[in-house]
Amino acid sequence: MTDTRMDHVTCLGCGCGCDDIAVTVRDGRIVEVTPPCPVSRPWFGDGVVPWEVMRNGNPADLGEALSEAAGLLALQPGRVLVYLGADLSSGAQRHAVGIADLLRATIDTATSGTAATGLLAGQRRGRATATLGEIRNRADVVLFWATDPARRYPRFQSRYAPDPSGTQIANGRADRFVISVHVGSEKAPSGADASLTLEPSDEIAALSLMRAAVAGNSPGELTTPLEQAVALVPRLSGARYAVLIHDAEPSAEPRNPLRVEGLITLAQALNGPTRAALLSLRAGGNRVGAESLLTWQSGFPYAVDYSRGYPRYVPEQRGLDLLEKRFSAVLIVGSAAFDDRTASALANLPTVIIGPRASQSVFSPAVAIDTGVAGIHEGGTGYRMDEVPLSLRPPLTATRSTVDVLEALHGAIRLRAGSA
Amino acid sequence: MTDMRRLRITGGTLYDPANGVDGEVRDICIEDGRVVPDVPHGSPALDTRGMIVMPGGVDIHSHFASSSCNHARRLLPEEHFADPVAAPTLQDRTVSRSGTGGTVPSTFTTGYRYAGLGYTTVFDAAVAPVMARHSHAELEDTPCVDGGFFALMGNDEYLLRQIAAGERERARDYAAWLLGATGAYAIKIVNPGGIEAWKSGQRNLSGLDEALATRGVTPRAILETLTDAANQLKLPHPVHIHCNNLGVPGNVAVTLASMQALAGRRAHFTHVQFHSYGGPGWSSAAAPVIEYVNEHPEISIDVGQVMFGPATTITADGPVEYLLHKSSGRKWVNIDIEMETGCGIVPFQYKDKAAVSALQWVIGLELFLLSADPWRVVLSTDHPNGGSFLSYPALIQLLMDRGVRDERIKQINPKLLAGSALADGLTREYTLNEIAIITRAAPARLLGLRHKGHLGPGADGDVTVYSTNTDLAEMFAAPRYVVKGGVLVVEEGHLRRAPTGRRLHVRPGYDEALLPDLRRHFETYSTVAFENYPVGEIADEPLSLSP
Repeated sequence: MTDTRMDHVTCLGCGCGCDDIAVTVRDGRIVEVTPPCPVSRPWFGDGVVPWEVMRNGNPADLGEALSEAAGLLALQPGRVLVYLGADLSSGAQRHAVGIADLLRATIDTATSGTAATGLLAGQRRGRATATLGEIRNRADVVLFWATDPARRYPRFQSRYAPDPSGTQIANGRADRFVISVHVGSEKAPSGADASLTLEPSDEIAALSLMRAAVAGNSPGELTTPLEQAVALVPRLSGARYAVLIHDAEPSAEPRNPLRVEGLITLAQALNGPTRAALLSLRAGGNRVGAESLLTWQSGFPYAVDYSRGYPRYVPEQRGLDLLEKRFSAVLIVGSAAFDDRTASALANLPTVIIGPRASQSVFSPAVAIDTGVAGIHEGGTGYRMDEVPLSLRPPLTATRSTVDVLEALHGAIRLRAGSA
Repeated sequence: MTDMRRLRITGGTLYDPANGVDGEVRDICIEDGRVVPDVPHGSPALDTRGMIVMPGGVDIHSHFASSSCNHARRLLPEEHFADPVAAPTLQDRTVSRSGTGGTVPSTFTTGYRYAGLGYTTVFDAAVAPVMARHSHAELEDTPCVDGGFFALMGNDEYLLRQIAAGERERARDYAAWLLGATGAYAIKIVNPGGIEAWKSGQRNLSGLDEALATRGVTPRAILETLTDAANQLKLPHPVHIHCNNLGVPGNVAVTLASMQALAGRRAHFTHVQFHSYGGPGWSSAAAPVIEYVNEHPEISIDVGQVMFGPATTITADGPVEYLLHKSSGRKWVNIDIEMETGCGIVPFQYKDKAAVSALQWVIGLELFLLSADPWRVVLSTDHPNGGSFLSYPALIQLLMDRGVRDERIKQINPKLLAGSALADGLTREYTLNEIAIITRAAPARLLGLRHKGHLGPGADGDVTVYSTNTDLAEMFAAPRYVVKGGVLVVEEGHLRRAPTGRRLHVRPGYDEALLPDLRRHFETYSTVAFENYPVGEIADEPLSLSP
C-alpha cells in the first residue's frame, strides 16, 4: 500500500488559511496532516464522505434528482431561500448565486448568523486593516481585545503574530509588545507584556476614552479600569505599527454589539499618530469568499433578496429564521449545521441539499446530492480571513463536483422555467 | 438561414483615425469576429446611413475589477440601494444577471454599462499581485468587454531589495515573473516608494530623491528600474505611472521631475490632472505639464478628468486617502497589503461650488485643450476616482462644444482660477476625429493592442455606431448599435447579447536564475506559499511580445 503525499495544501479549517500543509493519503483516506494543528487535523479528517444521490429518501439517478430539484425550485419564483454553507469554493458560490438570481431567491449565508455586526459597522465607518502578512512583517505592538486565538485559530500566533520574525521585525516575539485586554469571561492570551481586565459594562466607555486620548483629549477623573485603559494609549500611539485583534465570530456569551464600531474607530484614529490596523478573526471554510463574491455580483456582502428581479440588501433578516413565513422551497448548498428548530422547519418545506454529506442530513430533504468539501475534494479558490484569495489543492478527488452539479441544476431550472 | 458569422455595417460615416479615415462613408465588414475587406452579398447587414461609426471604445485606465473595487462596493450599500438593475432580456435567450449601479457597480452591470456606452475593451489600472486571483474572478463576471489589469510593483518588497542591491536586471526578471504569475498586462507604479513609506511610519515621500528609510531606495530609482524593465521586456504597454504626491498643492514639481527623470524613455503617466497643481496654495499648473508632454514624444498621458457629482476614490496610494478622509470627514478604508502595496478608499463628491473641485475640473480640461497630440493625451476620469465612466459623454461634450463649456464655467467657484488658461478663454473644440483618437485609437495604440482601436482588415470586429444628435452628451451616452467581435451587443439602448470578454495578459520570459532566491524570499516573509502564488492557467493565450 503506497502513501501519496501532497505539499502546500491549503487548510480552510479556520480563517488562517495556512497553505503549508502536507497531507498524506493512503488508499483513498487521509492518514496524516502536518504540521500538527488541533483544528486542521479534524477538519481534514480521513476525507471519507458519502457520494449518494437521494430523492425523497431513496437512492436516485443524478439526472432524475436534478430534474426533481429544478421542478421544486422553479415553481416558486421569489419564494426560494438559497443558503450557502461555509465549505464551498468561490466557483461553487458563483454558480449558487447565479441560481438565486435566476430564481429571484433570497440568499442567506453563514455570515448573517455570525459576523454581520462587524460588516455593518464597517459599512458605516470604513475600516483600517491589513492583510495577515503585514501584521507578521510589521506589527511591533499587538493588542488582543477579548480574544485568545489559541483555541479557534491555533496557528495564528506562530504564523502571523506575535511569534514570527518579519521584514521589520528581526527578532520575532522579543521585538513585539503584546497587550491583552480581557473583557468579562472573554480572555485574551496570557503572557502578555501588559494586560487589562474590563467588566463588559465598561467596555464601550473604555474604547471611547481610548479614542479620545489618541486624539489628545484628556478624560478627567476616571475609575481605575478606565484609567488603565487610557494608560495603554501611549504604547499604541508610540508603536511603529499597532495591530488590534478581535474575534468577529460569536462567542458563547453575547457581547456588546458596539464593540466592533469602537475598535474600528480606535484603529482608524491611531493612524493619526502612527500606523495601525484592526484585524477581525474569522472562522473557516470560505465564508469570507462568499461575502466577497456576493459583493461583486450584487453589491452587497450577505443577505441579498432577488425577489424583485434585482438585488436588495436585507441585512436585518436572517433567512433561516424566516423559513415558514417567507419561503416555500429551500436550496442548501454546502454543509450547514442546523439547530432543531431550523431542521424541523426545513423538514416541512421542499428542500434540496447539494453539498458534503447531504445524504446524511438530520431531516429527509426532497433531494440530496453529495458533493465534496472545498479544499479536501474540490479545488478552486478559497479566501483567507483577511480576504486574500488562496489556491485550493485538494488531496482527494471528488466523485462529483459541486460546480458541475450546480451548473447542471442551473440548466435544468432554465429548461423548467422555459417550459412552464 | 442567417449567416451569423458575418456582418456588414453599411452606409455610415466612418471615423477610423488609425487608418486615416476622417468622416467618410464606408462599409465595415466582419467575418468570424474580425474586420475583413468584404463579405458576400446577402450577409446580415446593419443600415447605418446618416450615422457615425467608430471602433469600439478602449478604456486605458479604470478601476472596475479588483479586490480594492470590491472593498469600495461593500462600503457603498447606500449607492446600490439607489440604483438597482434588473437582468436584461437578451435576444439569444442566454442568461443575463441583475446587479446594482452607483459609482462602483456590480460586475455584470459594469460590463453591460460599458457596452451600453460603446466601450468594448477596459483595463483595471491597479491590482495587488497577491489579489490577482480575485481580479480574474471579477473579470470572468464582467461580460461584453475584453479586459485585463496592471500589476502594482512600485512598492514591492522584493523589487525594492533588488534596487537597493543594485540588481536591476534581477528586478526586471522579477517584474517579468510577476506579470506571468499573476496574468497581468502591464507594470503599474503608484506613488513610487510612498506606499512603503506610509506602511513603515515614514508617512510619505515628498520628492524623487527622498529615500525610503526602510530600504534606502528613492522614487527615482524605482521609476528608472521599472520603466527600463517594461521597455527591455518589450511589453505592449510601457510602464504606467501614478506619480508621487497625488492631489497635493505644488505637486507639479515632482510630476515634471518624474517626466524629466525618464526623458528619452517610453513611459505613460496616468491621471495627470491629479498631479498638475501649483503651490504652495492651490493653482493650475496644467500649462507647464502639457507643454512638457507636447515636446516629448516618448511620453503619453491620460487626463483623469474630474466631473462634478458623486465619485469614489479608490487607490493603492494609502497616504493620500488618509488625507482625504481627514479633510472630507467621509468614511475611510485603508488596507495594507503584504509585501506589495496598499489600498485606500473614500467616497467623495466633486461640487462645482467647491473651489478645489472647480480647479481640478478646469485643470483637466486645460490638459485636453492645450494638448498638441491627441495620440498621446487620452481620455480618462480614473473611474470612479474623478467620476464614473458613465460621465465620459458629458466630458466629450465639454471638449467638443465650447458654448456648453463656457456656460458651465460661469457656474463654478472662481476662487482659485486666477491665471488659468481656461478661465481666460480657450476656444478649441475637439473634432469627432479627435474624439475617436482619444477614446479608442490612441488608447489602443498606447496599450500596444494591434487589433483594437481601428477598423482596418484584421482588426477585432468591435464597432460603435452613434445616431447624429446636436446634443453630443446624449449622442455619446446612447449608441445606436454596439458590435463586439462581430456580434450585435447593444441596439438602441437595449442589451441584446452579453458575450464573455477575452482576457488580455502577457507572459514575458525571464532568467530562471531568479527563482531560487525568490523562493527563499517567499519562504522567509510571505504568508502565501511560492507554489500557490501563481494564478495558474488562463483561458485566453497571452499576447505575443514583439521579438
